[in-house]
Amino acid sequence: MSHAASGEGIGQPIRRREDMRLITGKGQFSDDMNLPGQTYAVFLRAPHAHARIGAIDTAAALKMPGVLAVLTGKDLLADGLKPIPHTPLLAHPAEIIPENTDGTPVFTAPHYPLATDKVRFVGEAVAIVVATSIAAAKDGAEAIAIDYEPLPAVTDTVAAAAPDAPQLWDQHSNVALDARLGDAAATAAAFKRAAHVVKFKTWVQRITGVPMEPRAALSEYDPQTKRYMLHAGSGGAVRLKNDLATVLGVPSDDVRVLMYDVGGNFGTRGMIYPEFAAVAWAARRVGKPVKWLCERHEAFLCDYQGRDLAVEAELALDRDGTFLAMRGSNIGNAGAHTTNFSPLQKGVEIASSIYRMPAADFRARAVLSNTAPTRPYRSAGRPEVMYVMERLIDLACRDFGFDRVEIRRRNLIAPSELPYTNPFGMTYDSGHYREVMDRALKEGDWDGFPARRAEARARGKYRGIAVANYVDTATGQPRERTDITIRRDGVIDVVIGTVSNGQGHETTFAQCINEWFAVPVDKVNIITHDTDIVKVGGGTHSGRGMRLASYVMKIASDEIVEKGKRIAAHLLQAKPAEIDFTDGHFRVTGSNRSVGLFEVAAAALDQSDLPGELRGPLTATCDKVVKEAAFPYGAHVCEVEIDPVMGNVEIVKYTTVDDVGRAVNPMIIHGQTHGGIAQGVGQALLEHCAYNAADGQLMSGSFMDYAMPRADDFPFFDTFISEVPMPSHPLGIRPAGEGGTCPALAVTVNAIVDALADLGVRHVEMPATPERIWRAINGKKDVSIAKAEG
Amino acid sequence: MPVVTMTVNGEARSAEVEGRTLLVEFLRNHLGLTGTHVGCDTTQCGCCTVHVNGVAIKSCTALAVALDGAAVTTIEGLAQNGKLHPMQEAFREHHALQCGFCTPGMIMSAIDMVRRNGHALDERTVRKQLEGNICRCTGYHNIVTAVQAGAAAMKGQ
Ligand code: FES
Ligand code: FES
Repeated sequence: MSHAASGEGIGQPIRRREDMRLITGKGQFSDDMNLPGQTYAVFLRAPHAHARIGAIDTAAALKMPGVLAVLTGKDLLADGLKPIPHTPLLAHPAEIIPENTDGTPVFTAPHYPLATDKVRFVGEAVAIVVATSIAAAKDGAEAIAIDYEPLPAVTDTVAAAAPDAPQLWDQHSNVALDARLGDAAATAAAFKRAAHVVKFKTWVQRITGVPMEPRAALSEYDPQTKRYMLHAGSGGAVRLKNDLATVLGVPSDDVRVLMYDVGGNFGTRGMIYPEFAAVAWAARRVGKPVKWLCERHEAFLCDYQGRDLAVEAELALDRDGTFLAMRGSNIGNAGAHTTNFSPLQKGVEIASSIYRMPAADFRARAVLSNTAPTRPYRSAGRPEVMYVMERLIDLACRDFGFDRVEIRRRNLIAPSELPYTNPFGMTYDSGHYREVMDRALKEGDWDGFPARRAEARARGKYRGIAVANYVDTATGQPRERTDITIRRDGVIDVVIGTVSNGQGHETTFAQCINEWFAVPVDKVNIITHDTDIVKVGGGTHSGRGMRLASYVMKIASDEIVEKGKRIAAHLLQAKPAEIDFTDGHFRVTGSNRSVGLFEVAAAALDQSDLPGELRGPLTATCDKVVKEAAFPYGAHVCEVEIDPVMGNVEIVKYTTVDDVGRAVNPMIIHGQTHGGIAQGVGQALLEHCAYNAADGQLMSGSFMDYAMPRADDFPFFDTFISEVPMPSHPLGIRPAGEGGTCPALAVTVNAIVDALADLGVRHVEMPATPERIWRAINGKKDVSIAKAEG
Repeated sequence: MPVVTMTVNGEARSAEVEGRTLLVEFLRNHLGLTGTHVGCDTTQCGCCTVHVNGVAIKSCTALAVALDGAAVTTIEGLAQNGKLHPMQEAFREHHALQCGFCTPGMIMSAIDMVRRNGHALDERTVRKQLEGNICRCTGYHNIVTAVQAGAAAMKGQ
């Protein structure tokens, strides 16, 4: 089949290859795996938010029927296990690395798979019980007696940063990082001469990832080879392998990680979990495979969580609405461990978004608190700061009479100003920002809104509209590798270090290969699931899946074509320079002599008359560190209708234009945008990991209490793709996974406030629940805001 | 331990189970039908939806022993003679799945929605009646489209 006829290449909305198994119940998720003779693990978890661990009595538990082992933090230290190797700040070459203002190193606390000295959040694992069944393990866990000495706890972000807050770690205050970015003097000067200053104080509440597949792990230790096998879904197999080896204190080749289908990630599943290491260790201790399945209530307690940023920000403008400077303070709540500060880092460095901002001055703090550790969640850090920037703009319009569209047009960076270095030091490479916003306004029928508002008002409903722009900085693990092999049987093997968590890599990566080799997508074998095959790779996060995979696949593919031309030259008795490669065939220019890709691969294996360097498998490797960040951007328009009696918000129209540089599979990109919008709107309207401030207990421990977005929370979305190629990428690709979420918080809340403006409402905190909206309309104090404002 | 027998996807299947064994455990652990998923512990996510005697139920909230003699259809039993069920086909055609974890439950629920409401499903009905099925990946947009298309395609069945 010729490539043109196949219609499967880059840009085609082909249906996904992975679907066939997933719609017939043949997916292979973590809990679908079993091993003969497997045993079952259950974790005993901390009932206190903060407590010193005293004596642990496991004698009764060990006597329970079926219980094989009870292991605690003490056993773990005795066995020499190491803390999880967190790297809280991203060291990507394009990132701004925040440093402590006082010059001290950034604090990192040891995070062991089981608590050793204290428990620091409700749900932290304290012991692992292994038994012949889950029920027996649960009974065993219940029989463990622990002496806790409860300590005062702090969960609130701002409160945790206070000098007199209960301190989690003896060796350091709760403030693990206290940095300042930008130019304080220039910013102060700009504020002095500003005609207008607008202020905004908010808390971007904590939410959690909720991949629908709960975590699960199955591990086996082979005493003969001294190797551990772990089967568990994550954002990347190689990183999980290396981290697991570090915790177990063994060489990384002694660990094999397997993962097939992964039921969602969104960042919170992005790295090793304490339980994964504990399960592998327990498998060695009991000498049998150990399986663990996280129940949903445990997932709410101790899956890594996301967001949780306390912000105070100000924007200075001149008389005609030109931005002069911004300043403020961001406090990111890291939870009980110094797991990951990159949401704070990735947020503050682009807090000025794609607007021209001559100066900025921001304080950025990461604080520890008695809550579950946080990690990047769908577009870590960016939705938070986009929300703040866009709220500041709308507040300035309201206070000083600017038009919401005009002011954005005036301040958006023009293509002629790109590349543009923002006041924090990030350089945006390319984009048609105004054009994209104008298209979103047109598609969202901004101009027709007054009539729709009047019509709604006649029905007793309050209708509001808003537009928000965004930029996303995609960085993450900069190194990726692929090994591509052309097999003689008509199949192309692509080994790559990313893992699909629902993004459809088996389809889209194969579309790239189809584009270059004209091989049907079904003949491309994408191999990501086994670290005995995949040795290098950064996994899937920060918009790096397609971006980096296509990067290395293109380079390796070009190398194969070059090598293939030299082989074909021998076979066709021509010079390599005379050979063209089109439609999967090497052809002698201007003749009808040709040889197919797979014949060339077979010849390389079989023909002993080829020069030595051309003999052997037709294969190429690309292992590359990609130093550039990518900058997807776009604009969303949201229209809401509010019932002023009940405070219910209905999203009636939601329009997006997202620039993805080049769309490999538009169908999948639209799907990514839909899901991203739902996660952003979920935060704006519904979701909240709520902790009781008094005792640190989690109050949102199930789907009964944690409001998940459901089908009837949304309309059909109108999503549009813009394709302005990114100059630093060989195919021009910008990531497409996070654009849906980036401006969704901002545009939803701004639309709500616009709807309620006539009722005197100036702001509604997230989640904008009916109760909060009702209170805002009725002038009642919002208890939750009062708390956030401390 | 009691032995339960059910007709699962058209075949008689028996196993010895504990009194507390849930239908989903019977299907997944005893029969190896792992297409039915468990996504929660409070009967809310719908990942475990199967048909019992032709009606959708959440298999995480039914005891296997209580269903002795029942006819159960799971996602594995929908395709007939190698041909996908129209609702499966619609999910694939309309890209109604990403990670695919919620998908079996969604498809089983959707088919039951057609049984209850007929083939002309309007958007509002679909959205309302998907209340008991949670998806984190898709924003539901393509799921709603697929359910409508699948419902229409089932008419010719
Ligand atoms: S597993 Fe969630 S409803 Fe049954
Ligand atoms: S497709 Fe992933 S949860 Fe629905």
